[in-house]
Amino acid sequence: MIQIQSEAWQAIVSHAQAIYPNECCGAMLGTIDGDVKTVKVGLAIENAFTGVQHERYELRPEDLLKADREARSRGMDLIGIFHSHPDCDAYFSETDLKNSCPWYSFVVLSIYKGQFHHANSFLPNAEQTEAPKEELKY
Amino acid sequence: MTKILIPTPLRQFVDKKDTVEVTGSTVGEALNALTAAHSELKKHLYNDEGKLRSFVNIYLNDEDIRYIKKEATPLADGDTISIVPSIAGGR
Repeated sequence: MIQIQSEAWQAIVSHAQAIYPNECCGAMLGTIDGDVKTVKVGLAIENAFTGVQHERYELRPEDLLKADREARSRGMDLIGIFHSHPDCDAYFSETDLKNSCPWYSFVVLSIYKGQFHHANSFLPNAEQTEAPKEELKY
Repeated sequence: MTKILIPTPLRQFVDKKDTVEVTGSTVGEALNALTAAHSELKKHLYNDEGKLRSFVNIYLNDEDIRYIKKEATPLADGDTISIVPSIAGGR
């Protein structure tokens, strides 16, 4: 289960709405206690995809490295990645699955007409052949 | 010694440590030492052909080793290796 604290959630949703109609992306920092992941910081990261950004996102590895360092310096862990789907539902697409990595929680936000609509979290398996949903609380 | 920073989800394969110290004169040797000591980690970093998985990037301090000498990149005492995934997607 992944739970996102209020302040982090507001930062994530605000970023997704601000970047609309493009896809936003970012990192989630927090703590893990057994099966419960708690997101305490939503860190906006620039979408580095060089084409049309309303259908794609890409994180620069160096930006992810910075996010991991920030988590360590704050006594937290990098536990997940978020991105938005403008004007469509929060599913884990084939593109998401092929370009993800099986290490993190992936939170997808559905943004319709510039406003947050719903969100889901997914856990890609080691073979990147499927990404079952995980319980998400926000 | 070289420090290897372990991403959160992979710490379960290295006795829950966030950093592992290894010896080796190149990045490849250091990574081999890491996976030799923690064999469960290997399949998460390497494919069946023994190559780093497509989404796995290795940084030596602040530089991607693909732009240095890849796994033959030499190490100096006190260097830090980071394992960083490539992540992208879209609807």
